[in-house]
Amino acid sequence: MTSRPRDGGLPGAVAAEWTKLWSLRSTWWTLAGAFALCGLMTSILATDTVHDNTNELTQDDPGVLVTSDLVVAAIDIVQFVVLGLAILTITGEYATGSIRTTLQAVPPRGRVLAAKAAVVTAVVFPLGVLLGLTGTAVASVLMGEWGRTTLAQTLGDSLAIGAYLALISVFMLGVGALLRSTAATLTLSFLLLMALPMLLTNAGVPLVRHVGDALPSAAGRYFMNGEDSPYAPAAGLAILVAWAVAATVAARTSMRRRDA
Amino acid sequence: MIELRELTKRYGDKTAVHDLTLTVEPGKITGFLGPNGAGKSTTMRMILGLDRPTSGTALIDGRPYAAFPHPLREVGALLDAKALHPGRSARAHLVALARSNGIPTARVDEALETVGLAAVARRRAGTFSLGMGQRLGIAGALLGDPRVLLFDEPVNGLDPDGVLWVRRLMRTLAAEGRTVFVSSHLMSEMELTADRLVVIGKGRLIADAPVAEVIARSSRNAVRLRSPRADLLPPHLPDADIRRTGPDTLTISGVPIERLGMLCHELGVPVLELSPQAASLEEAYMELTGGSVEYGVRGKADAR
Ligand SMILES: Nc1ncnc2c1ncn2[C@@H]1O[C@H](COP(=O)(O)OP(=O)(O)O)[C@@H](O)[C@H]1O
Ligand SMILES: [Mg+2]
Repeated sequence: MTSRPRDGGLPGAVAAEWTKLWSLRSTWWTLAGAFALCGLMTSILATDTVHDNTNELTQDDPGVLVTSDLVVAAIDIVQFVVLGLAILTITGEYATGSIRTTLQAVPPRGRVLAAKAAVVTAVVFPLGVLLGLTGTAVASVLMGEWGRTTLAQTLGDSLAIGAYLALISVFMLGVGALLRSTAATLTLSFLLLMALPMLLTNAGVPLVRHVGDALPSAAGRYFMNGEDSPYAPAAGLAILVAWAVAATVAARTSMRRRDA
Repeated sequence: MIELRELTKRYGDKTAVHDLTLTVEPGKITGFLGPNGAGKSTTMRMILGLDRPTSGTALIDGRPYAAFPHPLREVGALLDAKALHPGRSARAHLVALARSNGIPTARVDEALETVGLAAVARRRAGTFSLGMGQRLGIAGALLGDPRVLLFDEPVNGLDPDGVLWVRRLMRTLAAEGRTVFVSSHLMSEMELTADRLVVIGKGRLIADAPVAEVIARSSRNAVRLRSPRADLLPPHLPDADIRRTGPDTLTISGVPIERLGMLCHELGVPVLELSPQAASLEEAYMELTGGSVEYGVRGKADAR
């Protein structure tokens, strides 16, 4: 992607977005932050597990856990750092006015969104996989005998984390293009990914629970962590893809209609 | 060539551009003139497909902007020098633009050289002065070697050297046969650069003519009359705009100099001086836009 595209088009737009992403210091800070927070969260969860297993109380013992499951749990928090990166690729341009320069260079709105989604995916998917692997490594060291680590499980969970983060990032990228404001988009991501699932999945009314299960965060959790879920992991993945596609299509319609 | 046909833009119930029809031709500099809020920037944004016209069309070489596969190679534009990410270096900003349109990155260094920013190419754009930002915006406009160029208030924030440089650059671009459309709210600036003037006020076309014609048509093309008995004249000139500009001097506009000469003869007024006073472009402009100042304290601005 560093070679010179001779012909613009979608490859050119992708190359431009790639250049823009890596020429901002904030990108590097965000990546470092994601690793730091993931390490911190898994360390806390791992030492908690060890503590609960070794204290006097026996009724709180979780027993031996799959280490990569702890990382999946940590992603609940870590995802917001990663989402910050994805959201800023669009809301940062609206905030600075540079969206106009972007659209001057690449007028088709769909192409701009596709290019941004491609770059976000190309960065966030490997990032998620690496977070999964390093997080598991940290957890397995800290958990010792209380952690169970198999290569297959670790790889599977890490790939799932990468896929979840990439899809949820593309979804929030679309939401960012709809709302255009960094603060509004981040707030909505908290509501949608943290607050709302907690409210809905604990609801007594089945219909409300079903709605809660269809939210992107719930779909992601069932996809990454198959236990006691109402549907198969593959269905979770499909629901996530549907959210990402829907947000991107809505964003394209909005960008076509509204003034830049 | 840029063609606007009945171009109209409303924001809510505010009409920013009203029924604008005009053609901007290649090979010359067309000045786009109007007071602040007249609708210049809005028009340029519509030409570039950034704002959707409420009605009407804006075409470049017969096509809407969005129809160009590599728009930066066809149309270069500096709209807002601040429309870039402050955290990105000048060079990275241009490299991204070049990549998006399949422009060789070697052009980036050429463009930086042209605008005199080569030495600060790796500095973050956020640390640039307004003038440096303008230069970077101009580098972006020149990047794709386009045949059509739009500049929105390009000399804003430039030092006198920079202003001269921009003028010379626009001259060169027009002499190369390119279409140059440049906006300003200052007539004095356009007087020195433009070949043709498009004047708008409150979103409406006021004048579209060669610079010389705009001046010639001005009713401020007055006649100066010096006579010890000058006071005899005004009662005979009910339609004229007459100002006393000296103890025995009147400046009269709206009346041909020939009629004044005859009138003096008929009234037996001794004439010490009778001379045409060409209006300055600035005066012609004030007169044209006097009734259409959006944010002005000028008395003529209509109170609506
Ligand atoms: N996005 C917008 N929303 C609402 N009003 C706008 C918008 N952009 C411009 N206007 C209004 O349209 C008019 C023309 O503005 P503009 O094109 O910026 O004028 P100029 O560039 O000639 O100074 C002004 O009254 C301005 O307030
Ligand atoms: Mg303006």
